[in-house]
Amino acid sequence: MSEARVQPVDFNARAQQVLSQIPLLSARDVEVTFSLRGNKLTAIRRASLDLYEGETLAIVGESGSGKSVFTKCFVGMLDKNGSITHGSIMYDGRDLTQLTEKDWLGIRGKKIAMVTQDPMTSLNPLKTIGKQIQEAVELHQGLRGAAAKAETIRILQDVGIAEPERRYKQYPHEFSGGMRQRVVIAIAVACRPQILICDEPTTALDVTIQAQILDLIRRLQQEQHMTIIYITHDLGVVANVADRVAVMYAGQVIEVGMANEVFFDPWHPYTWALLSALPQLGVKGEKLPAIDGTPPNLFSKIVGDAFAPRNRHALNIDFLEEPPMYEVTATHNVKAWLRDPRAPKVEQPKAISMLEAQGGKPKGTDPNAYHPHLDPNREELVRVDKMQVTFGNGHKKFVAVNDVSFTIYKGETFSLVGESGSGKTTIGRAILRVNPISEGEVFFRGEKISGKISKETDTKVIRSMQMIFQDPMASLNERAKVDYIVSEGLFNYHLYKNEKDRQEKVRKALEEVGLLPEFSSRFPHEFSGGQRQRIGIARALIMEPQFIVADEPISALDVSIRAQVLNLLNELKKKRGLTYLFIAHDLSVVRFISDRIAVIHKGRIVELAEAEELFLHPLHPYTKALLSAAPNPNPYLERTKKLLIYDPSQHDYRVDKPVWNEILPGHFVYGNERELDGYRSEISI
Amino acid sequence: MSRKRQKTVQEMEQPVVKLDVDYSTVDTEPAKERPYGREYTQARSKMPEKQLFEFAEYHPQEAERIGYSNYSYWKSVWNNFFQRKLAIVMGVVFIVLFVFTFIAPVISKFDVNNLRIDNDLAFISPNGEYWFGTDNLGRDYWSQVWSATRTSIILSVSVSIGQIFVGVVIGLVWGYVRKLDRFFTELYNFIDNIPTIIYMTLIALMVGKSTFIMGVSLIAFYWLGTARNIRNLVFMYRDREYNLASRCLGTGIRRILVKNIFPYLVSVIILRLALSIPGIIAFETTLSYLGLLDSSTPSLGILLRNARSYFLQFPYLLICPAAIVSLITVTFYLVGNAFSDACDPRNHV
Repeated sequence: MSEARVQPVDFNARAQQVLSQIPLLSARDVEVTFSLRGNKLTAIRRASLDLYEGETLAIVGESGSGKSVFTKCFVGMLDKNGSITHGSIMYDGRDLTQLTEKDWLGIRGKKIAMVTQDPMTSLNPLKTIGKQIQEAVELHQGLRGAAAKAETIRILQDVGIAEPERRYKQYPHEFSGGMRQRVVIAIAVACRPQILICDEPTTALDVTIQAQILDLIRRLQQEQHMTIIYITHDLGVVANVADRVAVMYAGQVIEVGMANEVFFDPWHPYTWALLSALPQLGVKGEKLPAIDGTPPNLFSKIVGDAFAPRNRHALNIDFLEEPPMYEVTATHNVKAWLRDPRAPKVEQPKAISMLEAQGGKPKGTDPNAYHPHLDPNREELVRVDKMQVTFGNGHKKFVAVNDVSFTIYKGETFSLVGESGSGKTTIGRAILRVNPISEGEVFFRGEKISGKISKETDTKVIRSMQMIFQDPMASLNERAKVDYIVSEGLFNYHLYKNEKDRQEKVRKALEEVGLLPEFSSRFPHEFSGGQRQRIGIARALIMEPQFIVADEPISALDVSIRAQVLNLLNELKKKRGLTYLFIAHDLSVVRFISDRIAVIHKGRIVELAEAEELFLHPLHPYTKALLSAAPNPNPYLERTKKLLIYDPSQHDYRVDKPVWNEILPGHFVYGNERELDGYRSEISI
Repeated sequence: MSRKRQKTVQEMEQPVVKLDVDYSTVDTEPAKERPYGREYTQARSKMPEKQLFEFAEYHPQEAERIGYSNYSYWKSVWNNFFQRKLAIVMGVVFIVLFVFTFIAPVISKFDVNNLRIDNDLAFISPNGEYWFGTDNLGRDYWSQVWSATRTSIILSVSVSIGQIFVGVVIGLVWGYVRKLDRFFTELYNFIDNIPTIIYMTLIALMVGKSTFIMGVSLIAFYWLGTARNIRNLVFMYRDREYNLASRCLGTGIRRILVKNIFPYLVSVIILRLALSIPGIIAFETTLSYLGLLDSSTPSLGILLRNARSYFLQFPYLLICPAAIVSLITVTFYLVGNAFSDACDPRNHV
């Protein structure tokens, strides 16, 4: 399979192209309102956007910014309770807001197609892959029988699926996530649409697969001369694909420009804040410039600039009047009062210039930083010895974690990085005794805590080891008040003297995670993702643990909120001397937060090293592949990065058995003698 | 898009403001109240233009504030429920009906416990003396109907509550404790495979016929379906992350079931409770048809059974009890649906 190699882009040439064209699709002052049980929610507040032929436009925004709703208007797929109440969307000489359902049949799918986020739910599990693509081919291209089948197989091959004849007869469950997304894309492009809308096409996929899917879409775009709209919250994806970028906040397009303009010369304070909050730009041990608070509630009327209350550089007028669109260059517009001639003249925050200069490489680390594992008096907190976890029994046995050993020292942040299904979460849960382990042992401060243990040890383990969960929506009991959720652990072990003491403890825990004490009488669904995650942290903290397993604590959060939670975790580590096992798939975050990193692949740790060491001298080919795929928020570097693909069959372990070897002090790698020799020579160069 | 040409020449004397913030010094403590809201906006609207374009003070706690109003689960349930006018009306009608079953004997001319059998008075159509007429044995039908209604309502409501209680408790344990799943499933299969009629006949023959025994045996049969239904619902919530979180905090099974899982099932339980009431009245009719009921205490089922033989000639014998059964069925269906919808927080927004 051959993917189009990414070429460095000339944004100036693209800008010229854009300026010389009439927009292909032009949305003007679009307002979309939803009615929910008598309440009116204005999801899109008079947003305007142009789309030019042949370009790739990325729409960036956090959840609730309206980016999905806005593009759903372009294909007439708004939910039943929503309607376009103002504005126009001109396409092909027609106003899309005025079309009837019958008119849409000629446009939706044929001219404007859509790829959705979750490949697991967008295919019919009861039909073969071939049938599903063929349906689209027959419907839109008018082919029948053998011709349709031949075309389907050609399309399958085209989207990079090997052995298309065999795959044609298979069902969706026989395909991996990345392959399914290829099939979804195949169906979308089967009728050669003019515009393809990709709604978070890679969010549910692993980074290495993500890079391949983005390459595929790019190649199809070149071959079929499509215009593509990407909807995403991931600035790395934006940097990879976009010619132009539109930033949305609270239902409005607040900044739009060529990718280089938005990344390197942004003028809206929200764009500044988004870019500066990237962990890629953070200095280890220092606070990230986080955006406080949460996006506004669109049920109420918004006065002035919606971002004003969270904006550190807000002007007084931002609270009163909505800013108009100001022109920065012919292709770059921004909706911020700071661009008004009457406003004070300002210089962009330093982090923005860092992005261009350093290309998303961290500013480096503090040389005086304390590394617990290097301390001669280091104290071993958790030791995992040859852990194995299997699921199922008998003939359907599945080994999720295989022969994993590591030690976590007091006060450090130890990260486990791997793709979905690698067993990283299972390891975390096995340490906390949620998943039983089938072989091996776990020690906490030298005491064995796996297998059968006494009741006192069990209580002690529960009190000193806690967990923070990935999904702040699912990990809080929706039917209980925050007060109960936070004090659940106190109730279980009766860790309070009286009711007043308990309330005081809850108040302190909430304050510690930066929430107002008055929140304790509310229900979780009133809070935003970041606030909910902090409630989850407060719930763990109230037990006064020494060790916390943080299972992807920020991957389900919006970009603007991730920094808040990272800062909080770091601050708590300093203040309380906590030790973390940080589980993640996002390498940029891991580099910022961890002391040591272990890379895990298919239930086995393949490499373990100090954070910077791992990034500078990765040895195992899987680590290298993972690092090469990590998104970089610099369009120039992201587009020229070289993608390495890891193929497990490159290891020949038949004769020469692999071992877990300390190749440099503190740097472990998994491999056989021949490979280790190769790694050694790599280091010595 | 309203575009404003920006002045290309900026006033040169204006100093360039650097916007870097030292984030290590930023105070993120949620401090006390600050002016905010409408008053704050009004204060700003009086500012001169020059001041409008100056930097505003920044308050992190203002950014933190959440926009939603104070929410209470049960308050929303009631608000939601009271919007369903038809359900309310039906509910009120039912309560009036139930209260009337106590008033009816008082205003009645005959005492239901001392009705005289007199074949000369049989099949008298409703009139001033016999408000609902008389039955085949010449007994006053009015007093019988109301007494039967009272018995049926009390029986069906208590059986329904009883079976829901047993069913929910067993269903929760059955669904949550993996080790007991096999045991309960086999128990369910065992009981469920015995035809209900045989089981009820056996009880009637061996233990005896009385309204109390019948209530208990109905509960002993009805909980099965509820328990199975609840067990399947528990599966949906059992492995959610918040239960995992509770386990990490050392929460015991009882607290998890009561606090983490039960609240999610309230709407289903209420619906099941409401819908099983008409079901039990109907089932009681079947049982009386088979003669498995104690016929000395009239219930709606017994009246319907008696009316069966004569209703073609004397339709009033059927109409009176049938109208009441229909009213109860429709009421519980509507009220149950409305209330279970109101209990669903997705409808609260």
